[in-house]
Amino acid sequence: MADEDLIEGAVRTAEREVIEISIPGSVDLVVLARFAAATIGARAGFDLDEIDDLRLAVDELSVSFGPVDAETRLRYAFLREGDAVHVRCTREPSDEEGGGGAGHSERDLIDWQQARELSAQLLDELVTRHGREIAGGRSVAWLTKQRGTGAA
Amino acid sequence: MEGSMTSPPQPADGALDLPTLEVHGELDLAVAPWLRDQLDALYVGGADSIVVDLSDATFLDSTALGVLVGALNRSRERGGLVHLVVQEPQILRVLAITGLEDEFALHQDRVELQRRKGEQ
Repeated sequence: MADEDLIEGAVRTAEREVIEISIPGSVDLVVLARFAAATIGARAGFDLDEIDDLRLAVDELSVSFGPVDAETRLRYAFLREGDAVHVRCTREPSDEEGGGGAGHSERDLIDWQQARELSAQLLDELVTRHGREIAGGRSVAWLTKQRGTGAA
Repeated sequence: MEGSMTSPPQPADGALDLPTLEVHGELDLAVAPWLRDQLDALYVGGADSIVVDLSDATFLDSTALGVLVGALNRSRERGGLVHLVVQEPQILRVLAITGLEDEFALHQDRVELQRRKGEQ
């Protein structure tokens, strides 16, 4: 799914709406993405467990990029479409472009690697689909969660 | 940091007689470095087993869980355990999904932990 698919032509209707937020590379702001996830999950009719799962899954999208720093910006696009929520998280610059490991100790990086492995396990279970890609030179992590279904 | 503070690590928690860390709030990537430092402090005295009381924690993500796994590995190297006091369903779900619920010693509350310790 490309950015354009998520955003273009998406106007708020009863069936479809988009929320976008952008935060600087400060880990204590990722909570804002969780708040947005909970809100849009509720608007999609998710039950409380599904909302909790979506909150955690969106947090894990952020984790999947590894360490962030002051030069990093995370952009989240939440699309509610019927009873499904699609989320794309874009990291700028991409984690392949550096910055991910700079200034971090070896222990930090080992911890992050472990977290990313745990994160992948969690995402497998929490959402219907998820993935990573490079789009327009930027790292993108995405997920889809459908109401009333567990993991695929 | 969102609602995630704690009492200082308790080097010896009364009847439990194990170094104990109480945490509350949301344990996420913002809190993980702090959590790691607090757990490091529990081991300074040479402890093998520790208690992490998550009774008032409401959220646990993979970064904070990774820190707990680090403590688990450290305790195991010393022949000890990491006891987790946890009731929050979402946290229990995270432990189950990652296959770690049988790796930690889980307790519903400190009373249960104390009782189990007494039985050993």
